[in-house]
Amino acid sequence: MDLSLYAREGEQEFVELTRSFVRKSVQPMFGGDAPDGNLDMMPSILDTAFEVGLAASPCTGMPGFEYGIWGTSADNPKGVRLSAMLLSAVAEACAGIAMNLHVQGLASRVITSSEGGLPEPPARVAVALQEGHALPDYRALLGHGGEPDEGIGTRVLPTETGWVITGSKSFVYGMEGTDAFLVFCRIAGNRGGENIGCLLVPAGATGLEVRDVGGRTGIRACGLSNLVLNDVIVASEHRLSSREAFSLMGRAMCLHWLGISAMAAGNASGALKAAREYAATRYQGGAMIGEHPAVRKLLALSEARVEAALALLLQTAGFACGNTDFLRRCAIAKLMTTDWAFSAVTDALQVFGGYGYMEDYGMEKRLRDAIVLKTAAGSRNYLETFISDAGREDIR
Amino acid sequence: MKPEALDLQARVDALRPGNASKHLDFFGKLLVDNREMTIWEHDTGLLPVGARIWRRRARDFARRYIRPDAVRADSLPREYDPRPIVSQAARKGFQTLLLALPLGTAFPGSYFLKSASFQVAVVAEEFAAESGGIALLLMAHHLGCAPLILSGHVPTILRHLLPLYARTLRGRPEIMAFAITEPGAGSDVEETEGGAEARLVTTARQVDGGFVINGRKCFISDGAIADKVTLFAKLQGEGLESWTCFLIEKGMEGYSIGRQEHKLGQRASDASELILDDVRVPQRNVVGRLRSGWANNRNVLNYSRPVVGAMALGHARGAFERALEFCRSTVRGGKRLIDYQDVQIELADMIVKLWSARALIWHSCSQFRCYQSASAAAKVAASDISFEVCTKAMEIMGDYGYLENRGAESLWRDSRLTQIYEGTNQINRLAVIEHQWAEISGRCGN
Ligand SMILES: Cc1cc2nc3c(=O)[nH]c(=O)nc-3n(C[C@H](O)[C@H](O)[C@H](O)COP(=O)(O)OP(=O)(O)OC[C@H]3O[C@@H](n4cnc5c(N)ncnc54)[C@H](O)[C@@H]3O)c2cc1C
Repeated sequence: MDLSLYAREGEQEFVELTRSFVRKSVQPMFGGDAPDGNLDMMPSILDTAFEVGLAASPCTGMPGFEYGIWGTSADNPKGVRLSAMLLSAVAEACAGIAMNLHVQGLASRVITSSEGGLPEPPARVAVALQEGHALPDYRALLGHGGEPDEGIGTRVLPTETGWVITGSKSFVYGMEGTDAFLVFCRIAGNRGGENIGCLLVPAGATGLEVRDVGGRTGIRACGLSNLVLNDVIVASEHRLSSREAFSLMGRAMCLHWLGISAMAAGNASGALKAAREYAATRYQGGAMIGEHPAVRKLLALSEARVEAALALLLQTAGFACGNTDFLRRCAIAKLMTTDWAFSAVTDALQVFGGYGYMEDYGMEKRLRDAIVLKTAAGSRNYLETFISDAGREDIR
Repeated sequence: MKPEALDLQARVDALRPGNASKHLDFFGKLLVDNREMTIWEHDTGLLPVGARIWRRRARDFARRYIRPDAVRADSLPREYDPRPIVSQAARKGFQTLLLALPLGTAFPGSYFLKSASFQVAVVAEEFAAESGGIALLLMAHHLGCAPLILSGHVPTILRHLLPLYARTLRGRPEIMAFAITEPGAGSDVEETEGGAEARLVTTARQVDGGFVINGRKCFISDGAIADKVTLFAKLQGEGLESWTCFLIEKGMEGYSIGRQEHKLGQRASDASELILDDVRVPQRNVVGRLRSGWANNRNVLNYSRPVVGAMALGHARGAFERALEFCRSTVRGGKRLIDYQDVQIELADMIVKLWSARALIWHSCSQFRCYQSASAAAKVAASDISFEVCTKAMEIMGDYGYLENRGAESLWRDSRLTQIYEGTNQINRLAVIEHQWAEISGRCGN
């Protein structure tokens, strides 16, 4: 499974650049004893990602501003497609590192696509979309019922100089050293789309607690926190344009689901490659195991699923536009690609027999990452309900 | 509530099977089972009395002793001292279940009606529902003991197994392990055709008064802590046909523990390399006849695969229970998750799968002798189902599913191993076909 086969004219050089970043900066992280790679190397890996322009930035003039992952070029289907491919290419080596680049890009994209942006955007930023078990009710965006502020309990009160925020956000992925968080919240007392706001909360703001979620299964190269906001005061210019916050959040969710799909496909593609190589070197049953139909079946199914995941991912990226139906398509992509990718990884792991279960071969990490991508940011039930409601003519 | 809604609710209540069956005749009522009873209680009621008692004891033990250790044993396996839980389990009779009373602790009634594995399988499910690692730690001991019994060699049983059981019953438990896998032969020591071409290194050379063994075994569960290991070696100059089982004892000169693996799950039990460097083994430690090792090994797998299936089932049941608790306590859109129909469908799917796995496991060890196809089928079905159910449990919990303190994720990691060890599920599928070949090839009639 080679991503380059999918790359169109103009995309190839970005894919190559990403591959070179992976070879030089990401791969050296692995090979030691740590199951998730040497995480002490993360700061320098991320610095390099910014330098080479792979990490997007909300600041004009920074290398990744336009062509970084979810940089401003992602305002059209071509750019979205390119970012998705690059994410997959990074996730082939490490989905955790890809997650860092993805969430940085996501937050940058929210800032750069808002009317007027922010006067002095932070360099490293993350976005908080979720509260507790709930995701916002995006059906409202599609005009399919639902309340836009359903699932958003974080409230904001205006003061003379700015805003006071109270509430909490959960499962916020972000780079180490995140300077600020974009927090979607509800303007207290009112209901309706225009009353959802997006505010930039500096990481050091008084009253903001950033709590690491603790031990978790996978995607450990990227930070994951819960935010508690106790009367956090932010300046008035830290609110992104007031009218469109809910649709900004919807667009962020599109890219979030698509990004997760891209990482899942990349992670699975890496697992498949490793399994193919292993099958050509392990002797059992009188032959290299890759000769046994049982193993070929595992590899074939794994390949078919990786291919299907990539195809759906890129096809979905092609629909990217302001059209709200894109959200429904992204939900479908997240539902299916993460499922296919998960099966592809577990089949690839099976090719390794007992060795696949051991930390040294890297396959168990891929499985841990795959299950997180499958379960994060919208449970299966949430996605199914959303897709089914979004497709209903009768409540349109 | 509006009156018409109340009316509707009253009608729904009246239509519930429990209320509706009140309208049946006396004998009709006798034929309906509407008791409010857990599946666990229903299933336990099906068991013969001995197994029923062990199932209850095992659940109590698992909740009282395994549950409090589960997180620590998983997160800090190298610091976890397994001896206290082994001693506790031994004191309660869980480590001597392969023989019936008074030699062991299995109940004689069900022991002779069903396979020796049956009561072990029932216990395995309960232990594994709390911690895969601790379950393996305790269960691998039975696997290590099995070749002693299944060799059918009375002197071996009298010399080694009975004294070991007697010591255990007297409060001095010993841990056994089972070693067939070698770096160059994993599936090949579990499958006939591969076996014929296996590249084995562990070799026994006959000398005066016994054997000298050289070689290596890998991935041996409890290998580092075992007092004794039933270990298989070929005889010098011969192939797998000459495989012979030897009882290796800790402290034998030349016997050492090598690398200990870092694994995804079931971490409380070590998976270790055993190094044999000119280990002198006395004749009395030869288990069964020379060259009977292959047959013994294959039969050990027949008896142990249902137990592996039961462990897999336990992991899945544990994950299901944690997901269920989450659905009971999580409110979304004003309702508990369990009140949503789509969630109920997922939960029902999980229940159906767990139940079918249990039925096949119990079936596979429901006669005096376990046999290859049924045992392999039970292992494949239960482990595949287990991983599927554990994955579903994590999915239902969404982002909470992958947090370590929620319990489901560790059982998910534990569960993945059951598709690999005791023969990968691919090799186990081939075992089903091999055993039923006469039927499949059309040689035996309907
Ligand atoms: C945690 C753990 C604990 C273990 N505990 C023990 C223990 O206590 N004692 C013990 O002796 N062993 C133990 N094992 C070993 C275990 O039984 C083997 O890992 C397992 O049988 C697979 O062997 P392998 O790892 O060498 O994989 P391989 O045999 O190398 O298999 C690799 C792949 O090739 C396939 N394959 C191999 N041969 C064939 C064939 N002929 N036809 C079709 N497909 C084939 C397999 O299905 C698999 O997909 C343990 C393993 C693990 C991981």
